[in-house]
Amino acid sequence: MSAVPLTAYLLVAAALFAIGIYAVLAQRSAVMVLMGIELLLNATGLNAVAFWRHTAAHDYSGQIFTILIVTIGAVEMAIGLGLMLLLFRRRRTVQLDAWQALRG
Amino acid sequence: MGVGLAVLWTLLLALAGSALVAAIEPHRLGHGNEPGPAAELRTLPWRRSRRPDRWLHGAAPVVALIALAWAVLILPFGRELIGADLGIGLFYFLVVVDILLLAVALGGWGADTADAVECCYRVIAQLVAYVVPLGLAVIGPAMMARSLSTVDIVEAQARAGLWYVVAQPLGFALFVAAGLMQSYRAPFLEPFAQRLQQAMLASYAPPLRALWRVALSGLLFVVAAMGATLFLGGYAGPWLPGWAWMLLKTLAMIVLMLGLGRCFALRSSAQMLALSWKLLIPLGLLNVLVVGALILLGVGQGAFR
Amino acid sequence: MSTALLQWLAFALFAAIAIAGALGMATTMSMFRSGVFLMASFVGVAGLFVLLLADLLAWLQVMMYVGGMLVMILFMVLFSHDPGGAMMSEMPGLRGPERFFSLGLRAPSHEGGGSDHGGHAMPQMDMSMTTPLRRFAVVLAALAFVALAALLLLRPAWRQLDAMPAADSAHRVGELLMGKYMAAFEGAGLLILLGIFGSVYLARPSAHPGSAARERLQAAAADAPVDVAEAGDPRELQR
Repeated sequence: MSAVPLTAYLLVAAALFAIGIYAVLAQRSAVMVLMGIELLLNATGLNAVAFWRHTAAHDYSGQIFTILIVTIGAVEMAIGLGLMLLLFRRRRTVQLDAWQALRG
Repeated sequence: MGVGLAVLWTLLLALAGSALVAAIEPHRLGHGNEPGPAAELRTLPWRRSRRPDRWLHGAAPVVALIALAWAVLILPFGRELIGADLGIGLFYFLVVVDILLLAVALGGWGADTADAVECCYRVIAQLVAYVVPLGLAVIGPAMMARSLSTVDIVEAQARAGLWYVVAQPLGFALFVAAGLMQSYRAPFLEPFAQRLQQAMLASYAPPLRALWRVALSGLLFVVAAMGATLFLGGYAGPWLPGWAWMLLKTLAMIVLMLGLGRCFALRSSAQMLALSWKLLIPLGLLNVLVVGALILLGVGQGAFR
Repeated sequence: MSTALLQWLAFALFAAIAIAGALGMATTMSMFRSGVFLMASFVGVAGLFVLLLADLLAWLQVMMYVGGMLVMILFMVLFSHDPGGAMMSEMPGLRGPERFFSLGLRAPSHEGGGSDHGGHAMPQMDMSMTTPLRRFAVVLAALAFVALAALLLLRPAWRQLDAMPAADSAHRVGELLMGKYMAAFEGAGLLILLGIFGSVYLARPSAHPGSAARERLQAAAADAPVDVAEAGDPRELQR
């Protein structure tokens, strides 16, 4: 019933994943890196749902995976922002190259 | 119902609803004395720049209207008189109304004056305050009706012969409080206190400002209509047709919310957060427990199951 | 119009939103805007979820990320010296997506611009948004995409079922969460709780002096150096 094949969804997820890799590596600000990580997680979630729909539509475990991924993404964001608040208080910057050593 | 018909319905209903709110709301948004500015925010260096982000600024009222139309989609005015009866309607509603808030944040940022950015900030803070209590308040009716669909919730109330406001007064009170926060009305209107409102809305040309008025009035209408659906039995009622009952109950909700809201002193964003996390969320958890116990005792289950 | 064509159209639309949003997030000069672009990307993916008949997940995704990204934007604006990208968007040499996604960030008006700049002094600061690794990152990301796409296109055929999922996926997911995956669900809850504790602990106001307290400490340090050891880390005071 689904006209769009699985591969098409997986290709979109691959594109999102690649862009996420770029964002994580190339962005200087820690917040932007965190956003890149969210993108990576999201691409993974899209994969999980696409596989669920096309290979095991009767078993809803695929959706559970995605729910857990979203949850972990939220927790990661909270911890990341807490860390950044701490770093910012110390040196007034969250540019990652200012934080090559986390000691002190 | 066809897609085109549903779109037309939502747009008409959104316009009518916001006209209704605008007609009965005494001063509209932004009366009263606004609390003091956030001193810390004023000292940040970028506050001096005045360079609007034109894309976001222009997109904001459009996003707001789209969100409003989406929210209207699931308001039931009759068993068949609904844009779309989604199986997860209630959850969808919570999500979609958040998008309206996103629009306000976009507009506040895009206007890029100090006060408008402050408006954007306070709106986001308010999101953190209301979203959990609101969720806990609407869980109650969904639990009792055993469905997230708005039509099912109304039908369950009709079948049990019991409005959920009677069974869950605590949930109703929570809904009113969180709904006032969500629609930025009387005690919780800090993001739209006069100075901020002037900064945000005044940055728009009159036609776009009118769109904002529609969106912000419609927000209260949508929240009140949802309250009427969840707690006041929605479109069910004797003698009158369903849509009339729904309209009457929504009107009653709006009057109740605005009236109650004016009985309390204005709260600042920080006070709202404290109120929410120290009072409303514990009460909400208690509400869920109580509702669960009531369901086990058979309250509100009617002839059902 | 046939449903197949309609599905393809919807797929193309949502995929375009998702990918364009992600590209915009990674390349725009305005950090505020990149948060908004990321939200758009998530909404596009939510649309794909709807096409895949996982509507509960779609709205869950929108809810989590609209709220989450808004809060993230708030932090971004706090932490950044140029969150609106006004300065960066005037840099020469913006090309391709960087230029496109930064359109409409208005340049300062020159009549009033001079006094605007006087307020804060950070002329020597390196304002660039990207690391020196950028070229390498572009290559690596492109390679990753090409490799993944090649693997996908050249793979042997997978066995696929074309069963329709039940209409009330929310119901089924709920039952699984409360039954088979109870442990994972509770584990996620515990994780969130720990996350809350952890971030509150990290960000608690008393952990490090605020700016007012810092000034007080610095004044104290100037008077009596002996107190510094008790007052806190001396390196911190110098900053």
